[in-house]
Amino acid sequence: MSVEDPYALLDKWLNAQELLVVGKDVTRVDAFQKAVGKAYFTEDYLLKEALFVKQVLSPYPHARILSYDVRKALDIPGVKAVITAKDIPGVNQVGYALPDQPLLAEGKVRYVGEVVALVVAEDYDTAFKGVESVEVKYEELPYLLDPLEAMNRNDILIHEEIGSNIAFKTKVVKGDVNEGFAKSDVIVENEYRTHHQDHIYLEPEAALAIPDMEGRITIICSTQYPHLTRDIASKVLGLPSSYVKIITPYVGGGFGGKDDEGPLVAAKAALAAYLTGRPSFLMYSREESIAIHPKREATVIKYKSGASKDGRLQAIDVKIIHDTGAYANRGPFILWRATVHASGPYEVPNARVEGFAVYTNKVYQGSFRGFGNPGIQFAAESQMDLLAEKLGLDPIDFRLKNILKEGSTTITSQKLDHSVGVGEALRKVAEASDWWRKRREYSLDTGRFRRGIGVGVAWHGISTSRGVPDWSNAYVKIEKDGSVTAYTGIVEMGQGAPTSAHVQIISELLGIPPTKVKVIFGTTDAPDTGATHASRGSSIGGIGVLIAAAKLRERLAKLASEILNVTPEEIMFKDGRVYSKKDPNLYIEWKDLIKEAISKGVELSATGYFFLPKGKFDDVRGQGFAYPAFSYMVVISEVEVDVETGVVKVLKVWPALAAGRILNPQQVEGQLEGAAVQGLGYALMENLVFDGKGRVVNPDLTDYVIPTIRDVPEIQKPIYVEDLFKYGPFGAKGVGELALIPMPASVANAVSHALKTRVTSLPLTPERVLELIRSSR
Amino acid sequence: MKVSFKLNGKNVVIDVNPNEVLLDTLRLKLGVKSVKRGCERGECGVCTVLMNGKPVYSCMVLTPQADGAEIETVEYLQGKEEVKALIDSFVKHGAIQCGYCTPGFIVTAYALIKAKQNGLTKEDVIKGLEGNLCRCTGYKKILEAVINALNQLET
Ligand code: FES
Ligand code: FES
Repeated sequence: MSVEDPYALLDKWLNAQELLVVGKDVTRVDAFQKAVGKAYFTEDYLLKEALFVKQVLSPYPHARILSYDVRKALDIPGVKAVITAKDIPGVNQVGYALPDQPLLAEGKVRYVGEVVALVVAEDYDTAFKGVESVEVKYEELPYLLDPLEAMNRNDILIHEEIGSNIAFKTKVVKGDVNEGFAKSDVIVENEYRTHHQDHIYLEPEAALAIPDMEGRITIICSTQYPHLTRDIASKVLGLPSSYVKIITPYVGGGFGGKDDEGPLVAAKAALAAYLTGRPSFLMYSREESIAIHPKREATVIKYKSGASKDGRLQAIDVKIIHDTGAYANRGPFILWRATVHASGPYEVPNARVEGFAVYTNKVYQGSFRGFGNPGIQFAAESQMDLLAEKLGLDPIDFRLKNILKEGSTTITSQKLDHSVGVGEALRKVAEASDWWRKRREYSLDTGRFRRGIGVGVAWHGISTSRGVPDWSNAYVKIEKDGSVTAYTGIVEMGQGAPTSAHVQIISELLGIPPTKVKVIFGTTDAPDTGATHASRGSSIGGIGVLIAAAKLRERLAKLASEILNVTPEEIMFKDGRVYSKKDPNLYIEWKDLIKEAISKGVELSATGYFFLPKGKFDDVRGQGFAYPAFSYMVVISEVEVDVETGVVKVLKVWPALAAGRILNPQQVEGQLEGAAVQGLGYALMENLVFDGKGRVVNPDLTDYVIPTIRDVPEIQKPIYVEDLFKYGPFGAKGVGELALIPMPASVANAVSHALKTRVTSLPLTPERVLELIRSSR
Repeated sequence: MKVSFKLNGKNVVIDVNPNEVLLDTLRLKLGVKSVKRGCERGECGVCTVLMNGKPVYSCMVLTPQADGAEIETVEYLQGKEEVKALIDSFVKHGAIQCGYCTPGFIVTAYALIKAKQNGLTKEDVIKGLEGNLCRCTGYKKILEAVINALNQLET
C-alpha cells in the first residue's frame, strides 16, 4: 500500500486523536464580503453589452402547438432573436432521468408556464414587448391534474410515447407481509397527503452566457452542479463539452431547486448567446420562478403497518404516489429515495413498498432538501405514533424498541455495519426535552390553548441511491509562497462547504491559517466533484479535498523528516511550522519547507479522487445495498394550538443529529436551524395553490407565505452523536437536508397530541386545523 | 428624465425613464452590488436601502421619487460604528449563509438602532426585521446577532 492510498489516508484522519481546526467554530471566509456586497452573485456580473432574454410561456396545461408567428416580435427595433425548438442547434432534450423533456416546448405543451420560446433583445423592456408579440397557435387538449385519476386513465396521455401516465415505478419487497400482519396484534392503516413546496431561494434563477473569441462559451450561472450544467448546455448547443465553461459564483440559496433549474437557465442563456454572438443574460422574475421551476412533489401515501404486543414492528405495506407533474425530471430518483426510506429508521422484518411517479399537467417535481423523504417520514412517523397508542406504549419507548442499530438490517436487507447513532440521539433528546413528563402533562390540557409535544425521527441515506456511482475529487496545489489554492466543483450556496468545511480541512492538514487557503468553487475548471446536493458538499465533496491535502502532507512530512533527521510519523504541521512532535525545537518553517520541496522536486499539487465503494442492488425486488451510510435526525417539537382560531404555534424545537463528525458546530447549527424553519414553513403555512387549469395562483411572496423572523420557535442547542462514517472526511456524513426531513412529522405529531386527533395531511393552516377539530367532535 | 440624489455621500445626476425603479438604477447603472433583486414587489427586503435615513424597498421606489433624496447602502454605511458592530456580530454569530439577504438585514437593523438608540427590546427587533426574508438561516442567528450588536453598542 502506497502512502497515497486514499483508503489509508481517510482511515488515518478518521482516527486522528487531536484536531486543531476541524470540529471548531471557525469563522467562514466569505461572511464579511457577503455582508458588504462584495461577494458577487450572477447578476452582479451583468455586462453592459449583454442582451436580455425573456421567455414566452404556455398559457395552457395541455395543448398541441400548431404554429408560431415571430415576425411581429422580430420587427420590434431592438429585438435580436426569437428562439423556438427548431432553432436549437444541438439536441432539444434535457430530461434528467428519462428522455421526456425538451428545453423549449416541441409539438406540445404540458403545463401552464412551460417555456415555448425565448426573445432576445437589447434591453429588458424590449424583450418584454417581444414576448407579448410572439404569436403561438395552440389546440387545447384535455388535461389531468389529479395523480390518482391520471394513473388510472389511458385516454388522455401526457406523454404518448410512454403509453401510460405512470412515469416510473419502484418496489421494495422483504420477507412476507401477510405473515407479518398475521403476527401483528395491532394494525393501523391510513392515507396521508403532502403538498408541493417552492424553494423560494431569495436569489431568483439567473445566467449570463458569454461567447469568447475561440468559439467557446462561458456561462456564469446560479446552479448546483457546474459539470452537469456544462453537459446539458453543450448538448443543447451541439458543442463538445470542453467548449463550454461554467462559473458558479456565490449562489443566493439553492435547496435543490437550482440543481434542476440551474442547467436549464444556463442552456437558455447559452442558446441566446450562441445564436446572436453576443453576451446574453436571463434572470427569472419571482413570478416566473414560482410558475416554472420544479417543486417538492405532492404525495399520496397509503400506509398499513402492524406490530406485536411486545412492541415490535412486524410488517409494513406502503403505496407511494408522487405527483411528478409534466415531466419526470429527477422524479425516479426521488421516488427511489422515498421507497427505500419508507420504514423510517426502524427494523421491519416484512415490507412491501410500491412507488409510482405519475404525470399530471402541472409544474413538475424536482429536487428539494430532503428529496422525497419528508413526505414518507411524515407518514411513517404518524403510523409509529398510532401503533404506540394502540399498544399503550409511549411513542418514544416504542420507537426505541425498534430503532436501527449497528448490525440491523434495513427494509432493503442491507446490513448496517457501522455509524448508526440514531438510538442514542433519540434517547438523549427525549431526556433533554423532558419528553415523558410533558407528554403526560400536556394530554390534560382542555382550554382554548392546547399544548402538544411530538417527535419525528428520520434517516437519510448518504450519497446516491443504490449502486448509482458517486465519487469525490478536488485539485489542491501549494503555491511558491506557501499559500494554497484548491479547486472543487462544489458550489457555495449558503451552506459553506467550500468556504468553511473545505478550508478547515486544508488548514488542519497543512497547518496553515484559513486565510492562506483559497478554495475556488463551482467551476468546470475543477475536476468533476458531483453535485452540491444530497447533503454532500462538505462531506462527500470534502473527501476529495482531504485526500488531495493528505497526499501533499505525506510528501512534505517525508521531506521534513529527512531535513530534520526524524521519522515521518513524528512530524507535525501547525501554525505555519513543521516540527517534530518529540522535540518541537526541531522544526522548519512551512514557507521554507515549500522552497525545499521546489528545489528537491517534490510535487506540490495533487488530486483527491475517491470512488465510493458500493454494493449490489436488485431494482426488481428493491433489495440490496442502498447507501454507504445513513445520517439520522430527531426533532422534538412543542406546539400550542388555539382551538378557536386554529392557529398552531411551534414554541420549542429540540434537534438531535447523528451525522458523523461535526466539522464546524456553528455552521452545522446554522444548517439545522435553517432546515428546521424551512420544514416548519412546509408543515404550517407554505402551500402552492393551483387553479382548475393547473396554473399556480399564488406565484408571489404575499400569497405564498414563508416563515419570517416572527415565526421562529426557540430552537435548542443541537445534540450531536458523532457516529463516524468510515469514508467521510474525518468521519462526516452530511447534514444539509437533515433537519427538514422529520420536521413535518414532528410538528404533525405534536399537533395530533395536542388535539388528540390524527393529522394526515399538510399544511396545518388554521382552516385545516379547525376542520380537523370539527371532524373529530 | 434627469434625476439627482445623493448616493453614499456623493451627488449623482442620472438620466432615467420615468418608470424606472431605484433598484435598477442602483444595480444596473450605478454599480451598487449590495442591493439585491429578490421579488421586485416589496415582499422580501433584499433590496433595502436607506432613503433619507429610513429603510425602503428600492424595488418599490421610482427613481424620480428619489430626486433630492439621500440614499445610503451598506457599501457606505459600513464605515459607521453601528454598522461595523452589526457586521461583526453577524459574522461572529454565523448569521450569514448565502448572504443574499444580509445587506438588507444590516441596513434595516441599522435604521432600527438609529430610530431608537436605546432600549430596543427583542420584540422591537422582531417587528423591525419582519419585512426582511431569509430562506437560509431560520433567523435565529440573525436575531442573536442583532441583539448582541445592540448590547455591544450600549456598553
Ligand atoms: S426585491 Fe425589493 S422587496 Fe424584494
Ligand atoms: S442567508 Fe440566504 S437568504 Fe438569508
